[in-house]
Amino acid sequence: MNAEALLLGDAAGMAAAVRDGRASAGALVEASLSRIAATDPRVNAFTDVVAERARHTAAGLDQRLADGDAPARALPLLGVPFAVKNLFDVAGLTTLAGSKIERGKPQASHDAPLVARLQAAGAVLVGALNMDEYAYGFTTENTHEGPTRNPHDLALVAGGSSGGSGAAVAAGQVPVTLGSDTNGSIRVPASLCGIFGLKPTYGRLPRNGTYPFVASLDHLGPFARSARDLALVYDALQGFDRHDPACLQRPDDPTAGLLARGIDGLRIATLDGYFADNAGPEARAAVAKVATALGVGRSVQLPEVARARAAAFLISNAEGGALHLPDLRTRAADFEPLSRDRFLAGALLPAAWIQQARRVRRWFALRAAELFQEVDVLLAPATPCPATPIGSEWIEINGQRLPTRANMGVLTQPISCIGLPVCAVPVWGCHPALPIGVQVIAAPWREDLTLRVAYFLEQRGVVSAPVAPL
Amino acid sequence: MTPTQIEAYVDAAAAAVQLPLSPGHRPGVLQYVALAARMAALVAAQPLGIEDDPAEAFVPVSPASTHPSSA
Repeated sequence: MNAEALLLGDAAGMAAAVRDGRASAGALVEASLSRIAATDPRVNAFTDVVAERARHTAAGLDQRLADGDAPARALPLLGVPFAVKNLFDVAGLTTLAGSKIERGKPQASHDAPLVARLQAAGAVLVGALNMDEYAYGFTTENTHEGPTRNPHDLALVAGGSSGGSGAAVAAGQVPVTLGSDTNGSIRVPASLCGIFGLKPTYGRLPRNGTYPFVASLDHLGPFARSARDLALVYDALQGFDRHDPACLQRPDDPTAGLLARGIDGLRIATLDGYFADNAGPEARAAVAKVATALGVGRSVQLPEVARARAAAFLISNAEGGALHLPDLRTRAADFEPLSRDRFLAGALLPAAWIQQARRVRRWFALRAAELFQEVDVLLAPATPCPATPIGSEWIEINGQRLPTRANMGVLTQPISCIGLPVCAVPVWGCHPALPIGVQVIAAPWREDLTLRVAYFLEQRGVVSAPVAPL
Repeated sequence: MTPTQIEAYVDAAAAAVQLPLSPGHRPGVLQYVALAARMAALVAAQPLGIEDDPAEAFVPVSPASTHPSSA
């Protein structure tokens, strides 16, 4: 199998091919760069391609292998090309966070810790990816860079705010990307682009070296085209870093070796109520399909989910507005027109609203913890509907006409509000041509359970992430 | 909040935090503060007791942890 064919497979297969000499890291990088060149004029996932750096890194790996370097040969992501949302620091690039305002600022002097960890695991960075400005959006209709287009239908959005991260994987440009998720920004693009995405527990992965949005809610995590790849990447990312004050010092919990344990003994239920009420027919069908495959007949409810969503909305609005207040005072016109007025409004909110939101957040987390005494895994739709046309202002969900850009995250926002780990899995067949995601949710620190369920579903053909035929 | 109350609040709060609002941005800001007010009404309606802590855990920083190589 040549490097071009390998690139369209999974990262584990690529690393195995490099390990046993069937492909070189250099050939995989060239295949990735070629596919980016051929497809990105249509997809617009990348804002920077670091070809020279990628070739240099790959050549270094190939030389180590030629020298018989056993530790290099054992690297889990040996020679795997990857890319990151452009809010991650990449040495030599300005960290844009999707903005015009950051252009011209100094280049990052170091890679973000998570970028460095993937590279230490043998992966090769090839570029940085488009996003909603300062991560405040669910569609990646970035006015400065142009919209990222959904590889499965170029007239549709890729989701956001990590839209470039979702599209690059779905387009087969790279098998692995990193993104961030404050209110759904990993799970929404994973759903709309038909790939796997993992939002780990809040506090699990260090966020230093990335441009923040809402420190109280920001998470980082990976995208991939298989559950196994997601687990391999997540395992490589784990580890404490005291430079992120929210990162908790816990032992690593490797997951890749646990995937094949299956679902025997797991208590799984679907989330009803709010999560069904805010889901369209494709989203409900996707949850039903996954539940049937898992033999799940039980549904449960979390109380007051709309209040938890409101809490996340307020905390995000206020923290985001306050973070950008200096620029909002002096150059508001340079902000993304689609989110500028929301940032301005957020800078004005009364402290009492935000403090009440924080207390509701904690109350809701306690209720979820009570529910997790009875169940191990919860299922919920990831988005209310499949991908919508670029420029679409309204969606209709169960007879309600709702603003598209705010409501794509209505099902993800209550879950990230309380920091639960979620694997978004891609379901096909509930819409004539498009995928839609299901959230596989577990109690804090149980990423392993979400990945085991994702792997089980993938092995049975219930979920899959095919490369888009571009 | 009524639309009139929101206008008055936005103008006063913008002055307080020294945030000039251009005429082109002000209608959108009013709309989003109104949306935030509806969200605030939702969270305000949740009964909470004095024991319902916001759980903001500030971690004191020891001198050693400010060194860049101390991760």
